[in-house]
Amino acid sequence: MAEGLSGSLAQLPLPDLLKMLGAGGQTGRLELTSGLDSGDIYLAAGAVVHAESGPHWGEQAFMRLVGWPNGQFRFESGDEPPERTIDKPLDALVAESVRAAGERDAMRRVIPSMDTLARLSRKAPGPVVTIEAADWEVLALIDGHVSAGEIGTLLGVDDYEAVRRLYRLRMAGLIELATPQAPAAAPARQLAGPQFFQAFTTAVAAALGPLAEIIIDDAVEDLGFTRSTLPRDAIASLAERVSTEIRDTDKRVRFQQTMLAMLRQPAA
Amino acid sequence: MEKGLDQINAVPGVGGSFLCDNRGDVIVSSDPAVLATVTMNTIGREVGRAFVALETAGQKASRIEFAYDTWRLLALDIGDAVLFVVCQPDASMAMVRMSADVAIGGWQTDSAARKRLERHRAERRALVNSTQLDQGSWSSWAVIASR
Repeated sequence: MAEGLSGSLAQLPLPDLLKMLGAGGQTGRLELTSGLDSGDIYLAAGAVVHAESGPHWGEQAFMRLVGWPNGQFRFESGDEPPERTIDKPLDALVAESVRAAGERDAMRRVIPSMDTLARLSRKAPGPVVTIEAADWEVLALIDGHVSAGEIGTLLGVDDYEAVRRLYRLRMAGLIELATPQAPAAAPARQLAGPQFFQAFTTAVAAALGPLAEIIIDDAVEDLGFTRSTLPRDAIASLAERVSTEIRDTDKRVRFQQTMLAMLRQPAA
Repeated sequence: MEKGLDQINAVPGVGGSFLCDNRGDVIVSSDPAVLATVTMNTIGREVGRAFVALETAGQKASRIEFAYDTWRLLALDIGDAVLFVVCQPDASMAMVRMSADVAIGGWQTDSAARKRLERHRAERRALVNSTQLDQGSWSSWAVIASR
């Protein structure tokens, strides 16, 4: 009997498993797991009568589950369905699922991410354009800056439905899609470098004597850097920090003058 | 003294600077002035009182930085006067402060600058009285002074 039947969907694809259970006239719950995802398909006398997966129920849940390329299954014979949400024959359900999976792949190729931006086509696809009411709602939102994800949110539909509507409009030639430009990487911060530290040590030593190296290292560390990572734009803060250690006013002013002159030099 | 302000004003992001005596009168200002004279007077007087209040409250400060959305104001107490530097928000404040220190150091060793400051000398504490302050500020001052 099918009681205790379990295995891998990679070895026994779900459509084949359902056909096998259907041919045996089984009643029970087929528990499916894939990573953190899970779902159940209920059979009654060999017919699929209910499916649930996360927030999805009925055919929508079935199509979602049947699209899993891998995962684990376990059949609990005798479990009664909590309700009946599916009344299509298994062959029709599987055929519909295959068609939906193909459509999903096609949509994914056209709209690879929910960040995809849509804008109206500059040229009409033909002399007469017919639009479904649901698609008009999408068109009304398109301004060239709104993303597929934002369209879904604004319409109150899930990502799949938002993508489906955008795909339909794209196929009808009414909109154009673009991948958002990634923000330019921030330019690398220029480092102070060993030449700076050489000149800096000389200036600090003139004001503070032989403890210069230790004072510099402490100040650099206080700023959250090392000598090899200190950026050029942190030199002023470093100089100011060290200048507070110089008690003699004349020496401090001379040191600050030296540092200001150094800071005003253009970066090498 | 003008030369000292010029050095401060040469720091990128500095819009101008001025020096006020403790009454709020402008001793010297960058040219062109960064603010209207009456504004510099008001800032000078009020910040001078703030330094007195902080000292009286046992929190003596020699520097106050005001950060606003579109500009920053650095106020440095030099005893007989307060030096103000008006900057853009992204100015390197470390450079501004060091430049101000250098300018102040120069004035302290310049006899002409010292004489000019002495002519403006006014005891700050004497300027904090009931005739100079509104009722609320005077009440607050009385609380601080009684501590």
